[in-house]
Amino acid sequence: MKRYTLLAGFVLAALGAAWAAHAADAKIEALARSCNSCHGLNGVSVGASMPSIGGLSESYLYNVMLQWKHGERYSATMGRHFKGYSDEELAGLAKHFSALPWVPVVQSADARVLAHGKEATERCETCHGATGGQPDDKDTPMLNGQWAKYLELELMKYRTEGVDMPHKKMRKNAQKMGEDADVAAAAKYYAAQPK
Amino acid sequence: MPIDRRDFLTSSAAALTAAVLPRTAAAKPHAAQPHVVVVGAGFGGATCAKYLRLWDPGIQVTLIEPNPHFTSCPMSNWVVGGFLDFDYLVKRYDKLPKYGIRMVRDRVTGVDGEKRLVHTQGGEKIAYDRLVLAPGMEFMTEKVEGYAEGAKAGKVMHAFKAGPETLLLRKQLEAMPDGGVFIIASPPPPGRCVSGPYERASVAAHYFKQHKPKSKIIMLDGHIDVVSKGPMFKAAWKELYPGMIEHRPNNLAVGFDHRTMTVRTEFEDQKGDVVNIIPLQRAPQLCKDAGVRNDALDRWCRVDFTTYESTSVPNIHVVGDPIMSNMPKSAHVSNNQAKIAAAAIIELLHGRQPDPVPVIGSTSYSVTSDHTSGSIAVVMRYDPVKKVYQRQPEGGANKTHSEIEFEYGRSWHENMWADTLG
Ligand SMILES: Cc1cc2nc3c(=O)[nH]c(=O)nc-3n(C[C@H](O)[C@H](O)[C@H](O)COP(=O)(O)OP(=O)(O)OC[C@H]3O[C@@H](n4cnc5c(N)ncnc54)[C@H](O)[C@@H]3O)c2cc1C
Ligand code: HEC
Ligand code: HEC
Repeated sequence: MKRYTLLAGFVLAALGAAWAAHAADAKIEALARSCNSCHGLNGVSVGASMPSIGGLSESYLYNVMLQWKHGERYSATMGRHFKGYSDEELAGLAKHFSALPWVPVVQSADARVLAHGKEATERCETCHGATGGQPDDKDTPMLNGQWAKYLELELMKYRTEGVDMPHKKMRKNAQKMGEDADVAAAAKYYAAQPK
Repeated sequence: MPIDRRDFLTSSAAALTAAVLPRTAAAKPHAAQPHVVVVGAGFGGATCAKYLRLWDPGIQVTLIEPNPHFTSCPMSNWVVGGFLDFDYLVKRYDKLPKYGIRMVRDRVTGVDGEKRLVHTQGGEKIAYDRLVLAPGMEFMTEKVEGYAEGAKAGKVMHAFKAGPETLLLRKQLEAMPDGGVFIIASPPPPGRCVSGPYERASVAAHYFKQHKPKSKIIMLDGHIDVVSKGPMFKAAWKELYPGMIEHRPNNLAVGFDHRTMTVRTEFEDQKGDVVNIIPLQRAPQLCKDAGVRNDALDRWCRVDFTTYESTSVPNIHVVGDPIMSNMPKSAHVSNNQAKIAAAAIIELLHGRQPDPVPVIGSTSYSVTSDHTSGSIAVVMRYDPVKKVYQRQPEGGANKTHSEIEFEYGRSWHENMWADTLG
């Protein structure tokens, strides 16, 4: 890692400041392209359990990546990746993906399930908005048109004791939800929202 | 394409770059639109062609592939285990032309590195400025005496290139009586998907457990241990299939007699009812003919790891399974390498310096049943002093399998196919 920074520094110094700007952008661009194989082109996923990440807020993205890097947040996969990146690279990645548009992947669901989901998410409105697409602050992710299976798995993480999910309020809210069926319905409700 | 290079440059930062670079580095490319020819539309080749066009529409890209469809090796063990239809592995190539890629359905039969020409079976001669070889690997079946005859008789298969052999293996497992013996003989690395044989043993055990519980799986492994995700696989086998899978390490298959269905290793003879032998592998003959299969053992292709250009023939790049490196030979790594090669080719065609320290992030999910998986996740950074990709600390394999990884692994395939094919 040390050597890598040193060498990069050498190359950059040799080629001048303008090159540095280009190379730094190109480098982040290159790192970001490697995420496409799991999160989709421009961070729009096509896999039901894999989240779209393009268009999430910079602050949220940076925050979760750092939590993973420092082992503070449960993960099946991402934690093992982000330990291999520098903080500057993570900041660059957060900036890169937040600059992309949020593209909801609207998933249809049974009308009864949607009604059930709407009811189950009433308490969530203050922070996520009525459709999950109007977050009240920069640390709250977009939920509208996110993949339902992914949302459901995330909610189960917040609900399960002993699974490290640092956000206390979100954990409390998820735990206050009723049956697991409410969780699935809530996930499907958000996934069905275009806006 | 007009000769003015500035047409290529999109951002002002890049334009500035051109102004400060020394003249030699900013040398003009060919007067005409540069032409990159990519051979093989698998995970490496298709990804490379797509990203060349995505990142620089000023480059002309031709992708040559003999097969009308793409057939995925990842997930093909699900078919062997009986919980996925083979058709699901077959994907169309129809989105690639939308990126402006010219697709040619043909097989490349020769490469003239000096004249920069590829020859095809159909009799075409196609000129290139830069060539990307991504033909996957070939089996050294001659290293297993009797394999060719056995395969001809339909008594042995590798099923390590997804296709008819995948289905043949599934059919034979279905026809096998309860109490039968299924042999999986696998080679030591380097080779395609080192965890594939262990995943295969797991899915077969999953099937036997439900339908033929008295059956046995014997793994004759040329490797020293279950090295890839070893603790994860061993724990899963103990938990789900106690006593069913017998792993015999250091036991490379060297012969097969299809009349007696006996596999001969360096140490023993083992009879089986269904026999699956995965022979040693090497970069395909095409790579040798092109002069890029250049390691000491005449098996793999050595490349510059920042550009994936061959160390022996200029203007020929190699990505994916054929490369000699310490990286796994996997779809995810091939896809990563293809993007690095595409970016480097663009820089080279523009007279700029490619990224000197590329990074590869790779994950491989292996199923242990129809609803559980375990994975290995690593980030590898190129170290220009040691000239190898270094695994970054704290990546690695998990010790246990889980249902959530099965879910993520399933979606990994969907996104990987989309990233490769459209
Ligand atoms: C059972 C199994 C499970 C696997 N599971 C995973 C997994 O879960 N994750 C993972 O990352 N990897 C997995 N792999 C590994 C992965 O499939 C390979 O590493 C990957 O396919 C290599 O990509 P490639 O582009 O080098 O070669 P390929 O994908 O094999 O593509 C090569 C292409 O080149 C074409 N070609 C060959 N010769 C010529 C020629 N002369 N002219 C024109 N075209 C030609 C071929 O038709 C083919 O389309 C698995 C492999 C197996 C066998
Ligand atoms: C091998 C597949 C894979 C790759 C490659 C990958 N991710 Fe992920 N990503 C996942 C999975 C799986 C999750 C769900 C969290 C978990 O358990 O790991 C996830 C979750 C995320 C999230 C959380 C999204 C949310 O809504 O909270 C972010 C952000 C993220 N990844 C960013 C990235 C970035 C940036 C890269 C590239 C440097 C990347 N990922 C590469 C598999 C991958
Ligand atoms: C107090 C504000 C607040 C309330 C109320 C709230 N959330 Fe959240 N939610 C957040 C924040 C902040 C995050 C990001 C937390 C983190 O970093 O782990 C989040 C994350 C999530 C996620 C994960 C999204 C992703 O991309 O990983 C889901 C799903 C979710 N909330 C659903 C709900 C549901 C359903 C409710 C109601 C039962 C709810 N939230 C109530 C603030 C809130």
